[in-house]
Amino acid sequence: MARMKFLCDADRCIECNACVTACKNEHDVPWGINRRRVVTINDGKPGERSVSMACMHCTDAPCAAVCPVNCFYTTADAVVLHSKDLCIGCGYCFYACPFGAPQYPRVGNFGSRGKMDKCTYCAGGPDADLTMAEYTKYGSNRLAEGKLPLCAEMCSTKALLAGDGAIIAEIYKERVTRRGYGSGAWGWKTAYQETIAL
Amino acid sequence: MKTAILALRALVFAMALAVIGHTAPVFAQQAPNPTAQSVNEQQLLDALRVGGVLDGRITIPNETAKVLIQPRGKDWRDFHQTTLWTIGGVSILGMLGLLVVFFLVRGKIRIESGFSGRTVTRFGGVERFVHWLTAGCFIILALSGLNLTFGKAFVAPVLGESAFALLAGWGKFAHNYLSFPFMFGLVMMFVIWVKDNIPGKLDLEWLKAGGGILKKGQHPPAPRFNAGQKGIFWIVILGGAAMSVSGWHLLFPFGAGSTVSDQQFWANVHAVVAMVFIAVMLAHAYIGSVGMEGAYDAMGSGEVDENWAREHHSLWLAQEEKRAAMAPPLSVPAE
Amino acid sequence: MLIKRREAAARNNLAHSPRLQAVAAGLASGALDRRTFLKRSGLAAGGVVALGASLGSVRKAEALGVLDHSKPVVAKKNMCTHCSVGCSIIGEIQNGVWVGQEPAWDSPINRGTHCAKGAASRELVFGDRRLKYPLKLVNGQWQRISWDQAINEVGDKMTEIRAKSGADSVYLLGSAKFTNEGAYLFRKFAAFWGTNSVDHQARICHSTTVAGVANTWGYGAQTNSYNDIRNSKTVIFMGSNAAEAHPVSLQHILVGKETQRANVIVFDPRFTRTAAHATEYVRFRGGTDIAVIWGLMHHIFANGWEDKEFIRQRVDGMEQIRAEVAKWTPEEVERVTGIPGEQMKKVAETFAKQRPSTFIWCMGGTQHTVGTANVRAYCNLLLATGNVGSNGSGANIFRGHTNVQGATDLGLDIGTLPLYYGLVEGAWRHWSRVWGVPYDYLQTRFDEVPAKAGRPARTRKQNMETPGIPSTRWFDAVLQKPDEVDQMDNIKAMVVFGHGGNTIPRMPDAQKGIEALDLLVVADPHPTTFAALSNRKNGTYLLPICTNFETEGSRTASNRSLQWGEKFVEPIFESKDDYEAIYLLSKKLGFADEMFKNYKLANNRPDPEDILREINRGGFSTGYSGQSPERLKAHMANQGKFDIVTLRSPTDGSDTSGDFYGLPWPCWGKPEIKHPGTHILYNTNLHVKEGGGTFRARFGVVREQKNADGTATQISMLSDGSYSLGSELTDGYPEFTLGVLKKLGWDKDLTPTELEQINAIGGNNADGVGWAVDLSGGIIRVALDHGCIPFGNGKARAVAYNLPDPVPVHREPIYTPRTDLVAQYPTRPDGRQFRMANIGETYQKKALEAGVAKQFPIILTSGRLVEYEGGGEETRSNKWLAELQQDMFVEINPADASERGIKEGQFVWVSGPEANSRARVKALVTERVGKGVAFMPFHFAGWFQGVDQRGNYPKGADPIVLGESVNTVTTYGYDPVTGMHEGKVTLCQIRAA
Repeated sequence: MARMKFLCDADRCIECNACVTACKNEHDVPWGINRRRVVTINDGKPGERSVSMACMHCTDAPCAAVCPVNCFYTTADAVVLHSKDLCIGCGYCFYACPFGAPQYPRVGNFGSRGKMDKCTYCAGGPDADLTMAEYTKYGSNRLAEGKLPLCAEMCSTKALLAGDGAIIAEIYKERVTRRGYGSGAWGWKTAYQETIAL
Repeated sequence: MKTAILALRALVFAMALAVIGHTAPVFAQQAPNPTAQSVNEQQLLDALRVGGVLDGRITIPNETAKVLIQPRGKDWRDFHQTTLWTIGGVSILGMLGLLVVFFLVRGKIRIESGFSGRTVTRFGGVERFVHWLTAGCFIILALSGLNLTFGKAFVAPVLGESAFALLAGWGKFAHNYLSFPFMFGLVMMFVIWVKDNIPGKLDLEWLKAGGGILKKGQHPPAPRFNAGQKGIFWIVILGGAAMSVSGWHLLFPFGAGSTVSDQQFWANVHAVVAMVFIAVMLAHAYIGSVGMEGAYDAMGSGEVDENWAREHHSLWLAQEEKRAAMAPPLSVPAE
Repeated sequence: MLIKRREAAARNNLAHSPRLQAVAAGLASGALDRRTFLKRSGLAAGGVVALGASLGSVRKAEALGVLDHSKPVVAKKNMCTHCSVGCSIIGEIQNGVWVGQEPAWDSPINRGTHCAKGAASRELVFGDRRLKYPLKLVNGQWQRISWDQAINEVGDKMTEIRAKSGADSVYLLGSAKFTNEGAYLFRKFAAFWGTNSVDHQARICHSTTVAGVANTWGYGAQTNSYNDIRNSKTVIFMGSNAAEAHPVSLQHILVGKETQRANVIVFDPRFTRTAAHATEYVRFRGGTDIAVIWGLMHHIFANGWEDKEFIRQRVDGMEQIRAEVAKWTPEEVERVTGIPGEQMKKVAETFAKQRPSTFIWCMGGTQHTVGTANVRAYCNLLLATGNVGSNGSGANIFRGHTNVQGATDLGLDIGTLPLYYGLVEGAWRHWSRVWGVPYDYLQTRFDEVPAKAGRPARTRKQNMETPGIPSTRWFDAVLQKPDEVDQMDNIKAMVVFGHGGNTIPRMPDAQKGIEALDLLVVADPHPTTFAALSNRKNGTYLLPICTNFETEGSRTASNRSLQWGEKFVEPIFESKDDYEAIYLLSKKLGFADEMFKNYKLANNRPDPEDILREINRGGFSTGYSGQSPERLKAHMANQGKFDIVTLRSPTDGSDTSGDFYGLPWPCWGKPEIKHPGTHILYNTNLHVKEGGGTFRARFGVVREQKNADGTATQISMLSDGSYSLGSELTDGYPEFTLGVLKKLGWDKDLTPTELEQINAIGGNNADGVGWAVDLSGGIIRVALDHGCIPFGNGKARAVAYNLPDPVPVHREPIYTPRTDLVAQYPTRPDGRQFRMANIGETYQKKALEAGVAKQFPIILTSGRLVEYEGGGEETRSNKWLAELQQDMFVEINPADASERGIKEGQFVWVSGPEANSRARVKALVTERVGKGVAFMPFHFAGWFQGVDQRGNYPKGADPIVLGESVNTVTTYGYDPVTGMHEGKVTLCQIRAA
């Protein structure tokens, strides 16, 4: 089975936010929930780079470790998903996540955290594939349709790569060799305890 | 302190400029090459101070979204999965152990002179209501809170995942709602009892005598509240305040300027204080019930036996008796 | 500042209470879970159904459905309706509802990708912040009316105004959002109505490019393509922030940068997202482009890096440029522009030596009082280094809107009929032949203009050949004294199809202008600023027009490729497409039978394919003749066959065999001769039948040069020994006419039918019939058969003798902080253009005397955000985009901010030097802008000088995000050639609010 990963090539990312709105469009994610976002480091200075970030679907995911109700599970594709039926909206995964992936609708008591929402790698959730129940809770399930996450598919400059970790690492390596520079596979060390040797 | 750091930073910066100025004047004039100068993740991570985050600018108005990578999430995980277990285990199990040992050694503290049969009012209705309101909330808050840390290991295997999640969900619901009466109770307790809980000279003597509970027949004089009770009072008030403030931050995480670091901090405060708090409350509950004969009545019926009062709160009893004597007799019957 | 759906109801009650609104705004950043969200959306749509039982509303309610995997889905292809890159969009349609969007992998332009706007396109048809039915403003209240009533009342009012003030007093403002067919129809509508005051967004984006570039080498368009930049070794961006304005283009540019190890050099006053990916960033003072270019060329000429052979063969007048350039020593360049000489030298050497080099510019170059001169300077840099007409080189002008290229081509312009025929009698005769109406009939539609203030009167014919009023100054033509405006009367009515009201400077004047109008018609999917800016009480009509996803037609991307878009869904609510709306209005005004005689009509809607066929029949001048609907559809169906770099389909005998993608114009001759289109203009390395060409012989055969001794020398304007591959004529040649064919003995190749048609057109001067007006297409066909390009083989003009400042000279902006340079480099003297006075010099002098630069010390520039587009009504109404930019802001340098005690995120007042204008916006403290420079995006509106105007919008059609428009504080200044406004350099002051 493939080990799915995301890789944002910051030397290609132009902060166009296509990944963000593609995600919103695909899953009809409501205002205030940002499954994916683009952060610009060193804004306005030479050296500025933008990085698109969402759940990285970590190896040994911290969210799963701290979840008090064990709502997380890892699929055969190494996608980290969670069950909204189990989630109680405690916020622990948000504290532990190195990437700020968990999002919470403000529908809990007194507008506090509701059930957590995060990037599903366009792989839905524990409900039956491609059902309305799955869509309403998690959004669409592109992996079940044989497609990859829409954010990466629609990335304007093909900065955001999604797919089997080994393959996208190879693509990135080739790019860096060809052009002679690379600011790193952002988040890989933190998420996968590995980097791409260049 | 802050200004000192800033000044230091400015100095270092000025030195760096000076170095560049002297050794590489051409470099300073070189045109910017954004590609060659681009930031590099590894360098940024290496340069990160302990507890620091990689952050930048984002267009959505969300403080937490600015953070790209926060390596301290791992620290929080370690804290939550290891340190907190140790703290909780040591404090709660340790306290339970202590109490068992104490019970075995000292046994139930009896009223040495036996029940007198006469009672004196120790806590009025309002006081008892406030106590039990707070205590009741505390018990549910404590159980539902402990469940979030330990339930996964001890309860979930028994109930199964769905039922456990349901329980935990209701627990969170209860935790969120009961926090308000709990906080109300804290405020009331403070208002009602603070005047009797100001530490005084007598407390030292009481403490020197070990509260008289270690040895039979020893009863250091105490006013309405002895030093031990005062200690509990202040632990409840201060611990409760810490729980309230930290809990408030956790309940309303979307406030302006609330960063993930803040939230981690408050979560840790909440958890650690809770563990210690629970341990102390176990001791309080012990001494107020099985640990001491006659003590429960104080919060049960509110009427304590005179002998109990004489042994444990001699000064208070004397005061009460004096007051009763000074009170003018009722000229008109109540009816 | 922002609201969202669930507050919609509450908001409408609270609109006038700022305090409560603040509360609502506070709530608004919350979020709903998906289920609640869908449910609440359902309730909202239910409300719409209750309001109107029309089919459109019911459809809208169904539109809340999501993709049902158990039922069949149809995939349809259209193009993104935002910028000019031309990204294909695949919509998944189920049950008449657009339920999903998939990457269009096959498109050679975007290869499946999008920017934020493209990826959020579905919301345009899925969301409900649209005009839902026609509305009329009655005593300050929006009142729902029927289409019949709207058309009747608008038509009657127009007729009344026409009778009193003439046809020219109705201003027709069209749109770059039109399809080609829509744009053409609107231009034709203006001709039948009888005015040349018909314009669109090109006026404010690239009108100066079109004028400047066309006057240099023939056509005013991007010479190469986004894809071709993959071949470039050096890329200069000047006044272009493509990363935000044309994000998908960066895919090609960054790949080129990587594979070619290309130099990417960004000249910009602001460190943009594009600059972040450059290999060299050059900051300069805005408005000094000519000084910069001459500075680069100074190094090039001084070191002999110019392409001497290219200049000799293909360029006229470079020695005059050289003389001007000599004045721009590195010291003077640094004094004026701020760029150090060393950096200039390095860039100049890179650009000249590491070829092919391309030069990309956008509105940073064009939106200036010297816009036309700027672009001619850019062209000169390309000509001097031989970087035109080959792979990887060229003037890569990135156009703005989805179809701004097509709308420009099809004549939504005050100075020309469709396809750059101009307004001369021959042009009118040509189009009256194509339209099948008598020339005299069209002439009767125009006003006779009386003599005014000592200026001569105009006959109908003269008026018909006089350019109209530019869109940048319509309000001046409303507000100025009648004597000041050279037409029968002032403008009394605005008919606005798809154009925002906030993209043009001097909004306080625009507001007064709107209030002074007798009639305002806004035909648009959204109400636009036109509807909300003023305090009008009556006489405004809003007509709901659908988006391009709800109709079909072709659009021309920036690279001149035409793409045919399919209709995804029927127009939602009661909206109609442009074709139907224009037809209904024409019918009411009484000329529909004449105007629409060549098209099939179904339910009042002309067939867009028929419109395109008519364009094909008349569009020879620009090679819009070969792109039949059938060929375009074949391209869309076979996108995957086109190469990503060459844009060419393999020669395989199929429908697209050997074609360039989208048949980029010029696609010569009739569709039957199967010209492949022209990927790269003026490319002599290819045969004309393979898309090759030469510079256009547009400026005559010879020019006269006055010598010092008073004599004159005749200088040839034809190319010298350069010709396109396989040409039978191996030197320069003039444009083809029947007479030229006869001289060459090639007239025998014409078929009898062709000859007959040419003779019919020419009457007793058949020899004078040129290739562009030959409706038989014969002259073109024969020229191509001989390897010649129909428009002749001329030299490019380094010097445009017919324009002000034939050799571009640096001129300080009207509001410049460098008052010390004004005496040496003043703006152009006052003059009259486009029926009105253009008094920039007076303004500059006034500013100087009043010490404006002291009171307003910060240079204010403007530009785009990736999330929004144009005036922003459409994109700010899109919840997926609006979330990403919730507040209007001003970028201010940390030094300027700390001087003023301004903190990140706080409100500030930005005030401008005219009309006591001021705007309340949030501060974004950043080093993107240098000290003394501020930047504001131009997409916002709905707040005016601190006042929230949300209440002025019709209920439910207000954009989610409102904010101050930058143009509230921008100022006077117009390019003399096109009327382009000065949008990039003015002065302002910023204070904490």
